[in-house]
Amino acid sequence: MSTGLILEGVDFAYEDTPILERISLQIPAGQFVTLLGSSGCGKSTLLRLLAGLQAPDRGSLGWNGQPIRGTSLERGIVFQDYALFPWMSVVDNIAVAIGKARPETGKAARREEAAEYLRKVGLESAIGKYPFELSGGMRQRGAIARALALGSPLLLMDEPFGALDPVNRARLQDLLLEIWEAASPRKTIVFVTHDIDEALYLSDRVVILGAAPGRVIADLSVDFPRHRDRRTLFDGEDFRTQREAIAETLAADTLRRLIAA
Amino acid sequence: MSDTVTLDGRELPATDALLAAPARRARLLRLLEASSIWIVLLAAWQLAAIYLPLGDNPLIPAPLLVFSTLRESLPELWAGTLSSFAILIPGFLLATLLGVASGLAVGTVPRLQRIFFPFARVAAPVPPTVYIPYAIAILPTFQLSAIFVVFIGAFWPVFHNTAAGALALEQRYRDNAGILGLSGIEYRWRVVLPASLPHIFSGMGVGLAFSFVLLTVAELFGANAGLGRFVQFYADYADYPKMVAGILYTGLVTYLSMTLLELARRRALFWLR
Repeated sequence: MSTGLILEGVDFAYEDTPILERISLQIPAGQFVTLLGSSGCGKSTLLRLLAGLQAPDRGSLGWNGQPIRGTSLERGIVFQDYALFPWMSVVDNIAVAIGKARPETGKAARREEAAEYLRKVGLESAIGKYPFELSGGMRQRGAIARALALGSPLLLMDEPFGALDPVNRARLQDLLLEIWEAASPRKTIVFVTHDIDEALYLSDRVVILGAAPGRVIADLSVDFPRHRDRRTLFDGEDFRTQREAIAETLAADTLRRLIAA
Repeated sequence: MSDTVTLDGRELPATDALLAAPARRARLLRLLEASSIWIVLLAAWQLAAIYLPLGDNPLIPAPLLVFSTLRESLPELWAGTLSSFAILIPGFLLATLLGVASGLAVGTVPRLQRIFFPFARVAAPVPPTVYIPYAIAILPTFQLSAIFVVFIGAFWPVFHNTAAGALALEQRYRDNAGILGLSGIEYRWRVVLPASLPHIFSGMGVGLAFSFVLLTVAELFGANAGLGRFVQFYADYADYPKMVAGILYTGLVTYLSMTLLELARRRALFWLR
């Protein structure tokens, strides 16, 4: 039995418009992969297929040897915004997730465990609060806490920091890496973004999707040693070379589309 | 805090007082604006009562007479309120309960939509007032028939709005519920119901206003107590001060009930910012 994600010839169309075409990927367990592409390249759709929120028209998706059909607590997801239910307090939002993931946990224990996860993401001040009382960055921390609380070995993240200001964005990137690097075994993360720096800083591997229809146009490994430091990394020659190569690949795809249109 | 401060030996109003005066004036003006139509109506009413020649049996009793009559009639009106509420509350609560439950079911199960909506399209627009005589004939007591009519009238707006709210459930809530594995009753209770509350409360508002209409109309038919009955009874005896007092009182009770619902709405929707 193979561990990790396997996608084979995945096609997906929305009302006759092809969104994804023949996507094939193998992602070993424990890898941090970013799906990078311009908006409209179908990267969010691909993530929805992986989450089981939608089914492909053709091809197959599998996780740890099992075909992906429908949602599962094995596969947690963090959306760009509004991940928490606004009518539940932050701690209740996470306690609900714990209740679903581990129903044997008692009510009080769920809340305690939820508070634990909130502390882990630096949200201890928000334990009794409601999402509307939190800033965007704090809400995303809550969303991450909930995804962690589900205990899913596969974490799907759909531009989770896309709506945040640069400072909060950097902080949450660091937090995510810190939590991911500390865990054993490490979770498999599929992270969608259109930010090249973010992709290079976070991941082991960048899969670049071309648009209209979405398909894999490049698959690069990112070999910077772990426990990366933002400043030294961004100033490094290797980083800049890789960054430019990715930018060129994306630009070439845009150009191809303009010529075709 | 003192009202003045001293600067170079001169007395100046303290900043609090400086700021407070215009704010107070603005508040007073707003109160005047809000009550202007009432003041005009009251004056017109008083003038009409004085100058219109209406003989011994004034169709337009003077405001003061009406207010003193209102005070005298309070015990009778209170008894009427209790009798009316014994119809309104069970009818409206039952309508809310069943309206929300069936609205949630229909709004989340496509097959139930295909079954229910064709029926609702025909049944809902029927004015519930036409059921009143039949309800009175078929049900053992007047109270039961009036509850039934209030129920029918309040049910449809609650049902329609709840179903619409459930159908309009945002994709991100569906997705989040799916990710967490929430389904069945739990999904409807923890996700669909709270997300639909804004719709549900607007349905309840329409339903409650309609309940008062139906209640008072039903009471004209066969009640021996109640607010609508009070007005009808004294109209029959040409006791217009009492009749008008009854109208004012009913208006006040309706207004207070709607306000109570509005307070409940704000409380339940505190998270909507």
